Amino acid sequence: MAEVVLQNVSKSFGNTLALDNVSLTVPDGAFVVLLGPTGVGKTTTLRMVSGLDTPDSGEVYIGGRPMKGLSPAERNVAMVFQQYSLYPHLTVRQNLEFPLKSPLLKTPKEAIERKVREVAETLQIAHKLDNKATALSGGEMQRVSIGRALVRNPQIFLMDEPLSSLDAKLRADLRIELKRIQAKTGATLLYVTHDQIEAMTMATHVGVLNEGRLVQFGSPREVYEQPVSVYAATRLGQPRINVLPADIFAGAPSGAKSIGLRPEHIAQGEGEEALVKRVEHLGDQTRLHLTFRKHDLITVTDAHTPLKGGETIKIQPSRPLYFDAAGMRLA
Amino acid sequence: MLKSSVERVAEATPHAIAKRMHGLSDRALAWLFVAPSIVLLLAVNIFPLIWTIRLSFTNFRVNRPNAEVEFVGLKNYLNILSDRDIWLTMQATAHFLIWTIVLQVLIGFSLAYLINKKFRGNDLWTTIIVLPMMLSPAVVGNFWTFLYQPQIGLFNYAVGFLTGADPSSFSMIGDVSLAPWAIVIVDTWMWTPFVMLICLAGLRSIPPSIYEAAECDRASKWRQFWTITIPLVLPFLMLAVLFRGIENFKMFDLVVQLTGGGPGSITELTSINLKREAFEKWRTGYASAYAVILFVTVFGLASIYVKALNKVKQR
Repeated sequence: MAEVVLQNVSKSFGNTLALDNVSLTVPDGAFVVLLGPTGVGKTTTLRMVSGLDTPDSGEVYIGGRPMKGLSPAERNVAMVFQQYSLYPHLTVRQNLEFPLKSPLLKTPKEAIERKVREVAETLQIAHKLDNKATALSGGEMQRVSIGRALVRNPQIFLMDEPLSSLDAKLRADLRIELKRIQAKTGATLLYVTHDQIEAMTMATHVGVLNEGRLVQFGSPREVYEQPVSVYAATRLGQPRINVLPADIFAGAPSGAKSIGLRPEHIAQGEGEEALVKRVEHLGDQTRLHLTFRKHDLITVTDAHTPLKGGETIKIQPSRPLYFDAAGMRLA
Repeated sequence: MLKSSVERVAEATPHAIAKRMHGLSDRALAWLFVAPSIVLLLAVNIFPLIWTIRLSFTNFRVNRPNAEVEFVGLKNYLNILSDRDIWLTMQATAHFLIWTIVLQVLIGFSLAYLINKKFRGNDLWTTIIVLPMMLSPAVVGNFWTFLYQPQIGLFNYAVGFLTGADPSSFSMIGDVSLAPWAIVIVDTWMWTPFVMLICLAGLRSIPPSIYEAAECDRASKWRQFWTITIPLVLPFLMLAVLFRGIENFKMFDLVVQLTGGGPGSITELTSINLKREAFEKWRTGYASAYAVILFVTVFGLASIYVKALNKVKQR
């Protein structure tokens, strides 16, 4: 495993600038999650590191070595593709063996067999080893494709939305499994997703991308609590952060255009009156949909709240985040 | 099978609907709709086949319709299978079949592999390469006789230019040892594009991301070719071989136009030979037996081959 550094990497496809001067360090043994909606350059970043695409400018280093001109094979990276990309004519076993059978490695037969079995058991596909790769469900295919990366011992694992096509239960299981494998083996992982839960639960570092630029990089907690902008703030947190005009509450600093309030950062009981529009009981918590001075906002409250729609409560901000006109946070 | 599916549709139709239409039941209506196709199929396919099988056991001659037709049992079959000349035409056919397929697969796949690479104007090249296939076999046969002309033929000139031999010192069509190759060359020229198109479809059906995965799995280009490209194109390639095999087993027009089966009978393929027996010598019974033998051979080989093809597809 190795540290991966991107230095001022830019890439455009035709007239679209996919990556705009991105610098990023993935520390050795870190689980870095790149977060952002479709089309912000997450996958492009992965492809720069893998060597499947080359940057127009800037440099990629793996383990301190510049990667310019090196093929994916020479970089020794393992990649999990969003669309599985299994070898359709091979069995699950043959798919898992494929990377190990590289003549570069000269892995002994018993070692291959042991490794394949080990990975298949971890991913709960041991009973499907002799199935054809195309005769699997989507979830099984994606597990094989993750397995194909895990059998190896690469410098870095690159994963492109590996869980996005799985059902909720399997996604939750594999989230824990991936995190466990990463913690156990100390693997370095660069992981792309648009799912904030994956980012929050697995990442040691989160990189927030917007229009080809890395807007914030830090621990999930840091990004959650100290977002640099409205954009970064809305990437994490479910329900989303409430963004309201800054002057809606007293005490906004000068230059503040809007105030960001996470649902749990709205204190109830004192302050100003808000109308309860709807009450959502989720079991472990209850969400309140409020109307406050003609603005909608969402907050959370006690699971067994007696509140009903139509009642009023008093609210005040507890840990407000202020943003300027450009959406950047005011310190 | 046809009958049972018609019946199944009829049975699945509710009674109330079945009662309508001028007293015609739905079942009768269904039969009415499929009847023309069935009649046509029986008249032009099944009946001639059965009639041919019947004739193959007789000494019937179609140019003597009033002569008495004798039942001769298996005599026609035994005569054919023990006839040395017929085995020679079989050999000529096998030579033609095997070499055209080998050459067309090798060249067709290579062309497809090259065309599949992204380069400027590859659509134009595809169109140019595919041109021979669009011509009529009779036209192709005819103008290759000019190309093969020892004195003025471009083919002879090109061979002479490349090897230094005298262009008029050999005749592709007139020489007993060259004529079998002459027909192989022309068929390959004409039908390689067809194999190429099918291979191209196969190559384009492989998602690029599979190669990217292999790239990350550290498979060399060589290994990618043998473990990904070839296995995934193989079903397409086998299909092309099946089409070409069946077509060339009954090859007639191109070769008749080119060599007429000559010199001697060295390029007389079975279908040309069969046509001679049936419509020049008018030995209808004998020719029928011949046709049945060819039919069984093609049908048998094709069924075995299709089984193999399906196995490859399911792999």
